[in-house]
Amino acid sequence: MIRAILRAQWLSMRIFRLASGRRGALFSVIVAVLWYGFWTFLAAVAEELTAARGLRMQIETWLPAGLLGVFAYWQLAPLASATMGASLDLRKLLVYPVPRRSLFLVEILLRITTCAELLLLLTGAAIGLLRNPAFGGWRGLARVPLAVVLFAAFNLMLAAGLRNLIERLLSRKGIREAIALLLMLVGVLPRLLMVTGFAGRRIEHALPTAANPFWPWGAAAHCMLGLSTGVRPVAAAAVLAGWTAAAYLFGRWQFMRGLRFDFQAAQATVASAKSRPFAERLYRLPSLVLPDPLSAMVEKELRSLVRTPRFRLVFVMGFSFGLVVWLPMILRGRVTHSAVSGNFLAVVSLYALFLLAQVTYGNSFGFDGSAAQLYFLAPVAISRALAAKNIAAAIFIFLEIAAVAAACTLLRLGISSGQIAEAFLVTAIAALYLLGIGNLSSVNYPRHMNAQRVSAGGGSGRAQGVLFLLYPVALLPVFLAYLARYAFDNQAVFYAVLACAAALGVAIYWMAMESAVSAARNRRESILAELSRGEGPMVAE
Amino acid sequence: MPDTPAIAVHDLRKLYGDKAAVDSLNLVVPRGCFFGFLGPNGAGKSTTIRMLTGLVPPSSGSIELLGMRLPDRELEIQQRIGLVPDESLLFDRLTGAEFLEFVGRMYGLARPTAVERAQSLLDLFELREKRKLIAEYSKGMRKRLAMAASLIHHPDLFLMDEPFEGVDAVGARLMKDILLDQVRRGATIFLTSHVLEVVERLCDRVAIIDKGKIVREGSMDELRGGTESLEDVFVRLVGAGREFHELEWLK
Repeated sequence: MIRAILRAQWLSMRIFRLASGRRGALFSVIVAVLWYGFWTFLAAVAEELTAARGLRMQIETWLPAGLLGVFAYWQLAPLASATMGASLDLRKLLVYPVPRRSLFLVEILLRITTCAELLLLLTGAAIGLLRNPAFGGWRGLARVPLAVVLFAAFNLMLAAGLRNLIERLLSRKGIREAIALLLMLVGVLPRLLMVTGFAGRRIEHALPTAANPFWPWGAAAHCMLGLSTGVRPVAAAAVLAGWTAAAYLFGRWQFMRGLRFDFQAAQATVASAKSRPFAERLYRLPSLVLPDPLSAMVEKELRSLVRTPRFRLVFVMGFSFGLVVWLPMILRGRVTHSAVSGNFLAVVSLYALFLLAQVTYGNSFGFDGSAAQLYFLAPVAISRALAAKNIAAAIFIFLEIAAVAAACTLLRLGISSGQIAEAFLVTAIAALYLLGIGNLSSVNYPRHMNAQRVSAGGGSGRAQGVLFLLYPVALLPVFLAYLARYAFDNQAVFYAVLACAAALGVAIYWMAMESAVSAARNRRESILAELSRGEGPMVAE
Repeated sequence: MPDTPAIAVHDLRKLYGDKAAVDSLNLVVPRGCFFGFLGPNGAGKSTTIRMLTGLVPPSSGSIELLGMRLPDRELEIQQRIGLVPDESLLFDRLTGAEFLEFVGRMYGLARPTAVERAQSLLDLFELREKRKLIAEYSKGMRKRLAMAASLIHHPDLFLMDEPFEGVDAVGARLMKDILLDQVRRGATIFLTSHVLEVVERLCDRVAIIDKGKIVREGSMDELRGGTESLEDVFVRLVGAGREFHELEWLK
C-alpha cells in the first residue's frame, strides 16, 4: 500500500514535469544538478575538514554548532517551502482504507526528498569522522552512523510536525498574513543580528551552550565524536534517542490534527458579510479617468487582488520585509555613508517592485486560472487586458512606495520629500522595463496560482528564473542614472539620464506588448491549458 | 431573420499530434434553432465548442458564425455570442454582482445598464447574497451565474457545454424556460449535454459525434424514427460492445 502511494506520488510529479514540456524538464534537471552539485561540494568539504587529524580541537568546538546549523536549516525548510512551493497534502488519501499510521510513515518518507541536501552534508561529515583516527577512525562504525540516523530522524519528524502546525495556522483567515509575516521575520532575524554585529559578539559565548550534550545537536556531536568528557557516547545516544522519540510523538500528533482539520471551515469568508462603501469608492476611481472596458478590467483586478490572501501577504512583505532587510545597512550608513543608505527609499521601492512580480505582473493571469479565457472570449483586444493588469500592478507598486515612505517617516529615518519623489520616479521607470518583461513571461510561461495558499510560490519556475535573470538588466538604465550623478555630482545629469531611460523604457514596453499580444494569439490554447491545470493527487503546488 | 445560418462549419479538423480530436466535421445550424450536440466522453464536443468560440484554432477547415467568418471578424462575433463553457470562467474573488457587472461592461454595456441588468439577473437566478464571493458558491450556483453572465449582453447565439450540470431541479427548470424563450425571440442555441431526456425535450435538431466524426444528424423525429427513444438511438450508435458480463469477479 505504501509503495503504491509513493509510486503515485512519483508518477504525479513526473507527469507534472513532462507536462511543462521538454525544455521545462531540461530546465528542472539543470537546476537540480546545480543545486545538488553545490551540496555535494559542501559535503565533500565537510568530509575533508572532519577527516583532518590536525583539526581535532576545532572539530570538537564547531561540530555541535554545525549540527545546530543543520537543525536550524532543516526546521526552517518547511518555512521556506511554505513560501516557495512543494508541499504534500495527504488528506486526499483519506477516502481510501489506509491506516493513519501508514499515512504518517508516507509523510516522513516523502519528506526525505525535501531535505536530501542535508543528508548529503551529514553523510560527508560522518565519512570524514570515520576516516579521522583522532576520533577512533573506523572503530566508530556503529556509533557515528547511529548518531547520524537518529539526528536525521529527529529532524525529519520535528519538521513534519512543524510543517503541519504552520499549515493549519496559515489556513486561519484573518490571522494568516500576520502569522506568515511573523514567520518571515523570524527567518530574517539571524541576518539582522549578524549585520548589526549583535550576533558576532555573542557567537563565541554561545558555542559552549550549543555543545551541551543535553541538546539534540550536542548529543549527536558527542556521539559522533565519541567524546568521553561530560557524558559518555552511549548516554549521548540515549539523550538523542529521547529527543527523537519526543519528535516522533510531536510529529505524529500534529499530523493527526492536520488530517482532521477542516481547512474549508477555517477559510470561510468573514468579510463576505461586510459592505465597505469607502473601499467601493476607491475601486471605482479608475473609471473616472479610464474608458470601459479598460476601467472595468482595472477595477476587477483591484478588487480581486485585495481579496487574495497570497497577494496581501506579498504586498505587506514588500515594505515590512524590505525595511527589515535593508534597515541594517541604513543604520550602519548613518555612521559611514553608502550608496544604499543614501538612496534607501529607492532601494526598498525597487525591492518591493521585484517582490510584487510573482503575484502581479510576472504571471498576470495566474490568479484567474481557467477564468482567464474570458479575456479571449469577450470582444476585447488582449493588449487591453494586459494593459489593465499593468495599470492595476502599477497602482499597487505606487501604494507600496507610499507605504515604505510612511514607514520611513514613522521610523524617523530622515527621508526628504525630494527622495520620496525620486523613489516614485525611479520605480516608475524601472517598472516600464519589468512590466514589459512580465507581459512576456505571463503569456509564455503562465501558471495557475492558488489564491488561498499564502504559502506557495508565484509563476512557473522558468518565469521566475527569467525575471530573476532579467531583473538586473531592467534596473541597468536606472543604475546608470545614479552612476552619472555620482560621477558628475550633478542632479541635471541624473535627470537627463533618467529621461533617456524613461524613453527607452516606453519603447521597450511597447515592443514587449506587441510581442506578448502576438504570443497570446498564437499560444492561447496552451496558455489556457496551463492556467486550467489542477493539482495532482498528492502534490499541492 | 437573416438567410445565413447561425453556425456553418466546413471540413473542420483538430489534430493533437497524429490523433484527430475532431475529424472532417460538417455542420449547419439554422438560426432560431435549439441544437443538441451529443456524444460520449472524449468524442470531441468540447473541442468543437472551443473551436467555435475561437479559443482553440482548428488544424484545418472553416467556421462561420452568424454569417461572419472566424477568425477574420472575431471581435464582432464575440460581441454576439453567449457562452457557458465546461470550465469555469468565473473570477472567484468577485461577488456575483461584481462579476456580472464586469462581464456586461466587457461586452460594451454602459455601467448603469450593466449594474441594472446584473441585479435583475441575480434576482432571477436567486443569487441574492450580495457580499458572497464566487469562491464560496456551490457548483450549481456557479453554473447559474455562468448562465446569467451569458445572457447579460443579449446575444444572438448561445454556445453551452453541459449548462445543467450540478444545477438543482428548480434552477434547471428556470434555465430551460429562459433558453426556450430565447429561441422564441430568434436566438440560436448550441448545447451539449449528457442528460438525453433534457435534449429530447428541448432540441429541434440533434447531431451525434463519436471519435471526432458526426455519426448522425437530423431533426428529433428523424433520429428517433417514431419507435426509439433518443437514448436508444444514442447507445446503439456509440455505446455498443461494452461487455461487463465478461468480468467474472464483478458478479
